[in-house]
Amino acid sequence: MSKGFLVFAQNTDTVDYVRQAYALALSIKFSQPEINNVSLVTNSIVPDEYKSIFDQIIPIPWFKELENSPLQAENRWKLYYATPYDETIVLDSDMLVLADIGLWWDYCGNFDIKFCNKIRNYKLEAIIQDTYHRKTFISNNLPNHYFALHYFKKNQTSFEFYKVLEFVINNWEYCRGTFAPLDPQEWISMDLAVALASKIYGIEDDALSPLEFVHMKPAIQGWATTPTSWRNFVNYVLNKKGEFVVGNIKQEKLFHYIDKNFVDDNLINRLEELANGT
Amino acid sequence: MTTGAVIFAQNNSTVDYIKLAIFAASRIKKYLDIPVSVITDTKDYLLKSFPDHGFDQIIEIDFVASVQDKKFFDGSISSKILPWKNHARTNVYDLTPYDRTLVIDSDYIISSSVLKSALDNDYDFQIYKNSFDLAIDRERDFERINQYSIPFYWATVFVFQKNTIMEAFFNLVSYIKTNWSYFRLLYNIDSSTYRNDFAFSIAIHIMDGKTHGDFAIELPGAMTYITDADVLIDIDENKMKFLTQRKNFLGEYTASKTTGLDVHVINKMSLLRYVNGGSGV
Repeated sequence: MSKGFLVFAQNTDTVDYVRQAYALALSIKFSQPEINNVSLVTNSIVPDEYKSIFDQIIPIPWFKELENSPLQAENRWKLYYATPYDETIVLDSDMLVLADIGLWWDYCGNFDIKFCNKIRNYKLEAIIQDTYHRKTFISNNLPNHYFALHYFKKNQTSFEFYKVLEFVINNWEYCRGTFAPLDPQEWISMDLAVALASKIYGIEDDALSPLEFVHMKPAIQGWATTPTSWRNFVNYVLNKKGEFVVGNIKQEKLFHYIDKNFVDDNLINRLEELANGT
Repeated sequence: MTTGAVIFAQNNSTVDYIKLAIFAASRIKKYLDIPVSVITDTKDYLLKSFPDHGFDQIIEIDFVASVQDKKFFDGSISSKILPWKNHARTNVYDLTPYDRTLVIDSDYIISSSVLKSALDNDYDFQIYKNSFDLAIDRERDFERINQYSIPFYWATVFVFQKNTIMEAFFNLVSYIKTNWSYFRLLYNIDSSTYRNDFAFSIAIHIMDGKTHGDFAIELPGAMTYITDADVLIDIDENKMKFLTQRKNFLGEYTASKTTGLDVHVINKMSLLRYVNGGSGV
């Protein structure tokens, strides 16, 4: 049974998602002693110096050019068809893996599909309900799933789930109107789409799941005011041991940095040093 | 294995910490039944003024002029700026005569035996993190050392064992104290005043590997307190009465009463008035 990480990264005019995916892949290489295969799903040009880090670079199946969809939801339901692995952990490109998460594979192996439903802020406080961003989830009693971190096996159950997800995304107005009419969210987000698909297909939250990540959306950091970027309020450093410290607090496992300007040359250089053991 | 309590008492021109320590010690002996020693820089004054002090040992430290001042409120309107001698606490590892030590502020008034359970176990270090403000309408501001940073621990009360881990911890606290101007900037602490709560919080965070950890075990319950904007009225056995400042109504108070609760009475002037034999108001 092959296992690996899958990252979707389609560049836009303003964001180099492929570079983010490269940074993520470097972090996986230095933090994961056993399963550290990473494949990239993209139709963007991948610079030569990035290519060797990826196990495979896979074109987006049935690619659609999307001018007004920065999150590319209409292309992201296709990951089931793109993955080269029997067991896949999907990660958003704007993440870093900071510690060995090998045990997650063991846990998830007991299931066909498993979504992360727990997040923390950088203070490592559990965010029980993200009432700022997830009003429609709460009002419509939807599962608190995060597409940014999920696992699936290549089997009939996952295939069917992704078919439902495809249906939800391609029939967005109907699905959100039918299954999430309260506090409506008009734009397509993958999180809401998988929540609707989960509700339709019958996948519940899992209180015991170890899957979690630190989410750096400024509004959930417990600050009195909300900056445009968390980097305006707290310092951070990735040291030579691979410890990533934000506001003097060492971050655990998986870090979802959000900020599109977070990845710079210094960070890439440090990640390359760590991945190469230099 | 010996067990006992120590209280620091270093007077300034207005607050007689020796007198407060004698009162606090009498409560410790009554409710926890352990010997109490005092650490002070005014041993002669203690012996001369309070021959029946009741301390197990009097541990003398050098008199050092205070290096910092602090604004001490006495209720919500009156205040004084006074010397604040809080630098000796980091030496408690070397100063305590006991193997297991309860360190307690002289303004922490024991009215229960709840801390007994902490004295009966073998954890290296126990300290309060959770706290409870008796002014229930006041916004809580002691969860973290500031909104951007690490959890807040109270150096007011803690229990530690003498071993190499705790020796390392107190060495670390001393290092933080010595380099306070650096650490306060690193941890976004606005005030330049050295505060043991902050230094302990930082040291605990470092001992925990700067992440979640179990170096510091929480003492039972939560640390109940009034601030120096509030006033103690009186104490009757294990019952205490207070006036707590009303939110948004400067100079107005709400009465409250506790029974069988240990309370950190941060308004030392009010506590001293009570200890002197009158009402704390």
